[in-house]
Amino acid sequence: MQIYKDYKDHADFLTVYVREAHPTDEWQMKSNVKEDVCYAQPKTLEQRVAIANDFVKRFSYPTQFGIDDMSNAANDAYAAWPERIYIIERGRIAYRGGMGPFNYHPEEARTWLAARYGEVKHEASTATPDQKSN
Amino acid sequence: MLKWIGAAVVLLILAVVIGLSVMAGGLRGAYGMVRYALPHMHRGTLRVGDDAPDASLLALDGSSRFHIRERTGARPLVIVFGSYT
Repeated sequence: MQIYKDYKDHADFLTVYVREAHPTDEWQMKSNVKEDVCYAQPKTLEQRVAIANDFVKRFSYPTQFGIDDMSNAANDAYAAWPERIYIIERGRIAYRGGMGPFNYHPEEARTWLAARYGEVKHEASTATPDQKSN
Repeated sequence: MLKWIGAAVVLLILAVVIGLSVMAGGLRGAYGMVRYALPHMHRGTLRVGDDAPDASLLALDGSSRFHIRERTGARPLVIVFGSYT
């Protein structure tokens, strides 16, 4: 997660796990089969916790991590599904990213941070390409 | 007249199916998009400058909880929403 690596000294990062986008019992993608990312849509919070932990362990995911309730409260509040980025500053929305996958552009969040703190580029991350956030 | 309206409707449906198939990588993908994705995709009403909504989240340990608001401090908070698949 390169953006975290580059700007963790300036900003806090929080990843929020929301309902699965391409589970085996809904709209599964071939790429997920190839990468062995095969999960049914969680029916319980415990199942969400298990999948989120698999994700974090597989990628040694570094940011703070939270899991949305089965009521999808966080998802609904932020219209987050399937993927989306926001930046909050002083309790207000400072940046609102587009709705994924077609309008999911992490580079816009990077641009926001760069405008505030300058360009920062640490050594490239070795994370695998299917990591959701950049 | 009805014949032309019928033809236009058929053409419109065909265009939608083809468009979705191209976007989703095939007919099966188009079905998946309509059946499983579109009902959950919402642009939302939040705008830059709005108060950031709060929500309770479960931690990875599966038992402790925290609020998004608790994680907002003096520094900007980048929130990344997503799933594994």
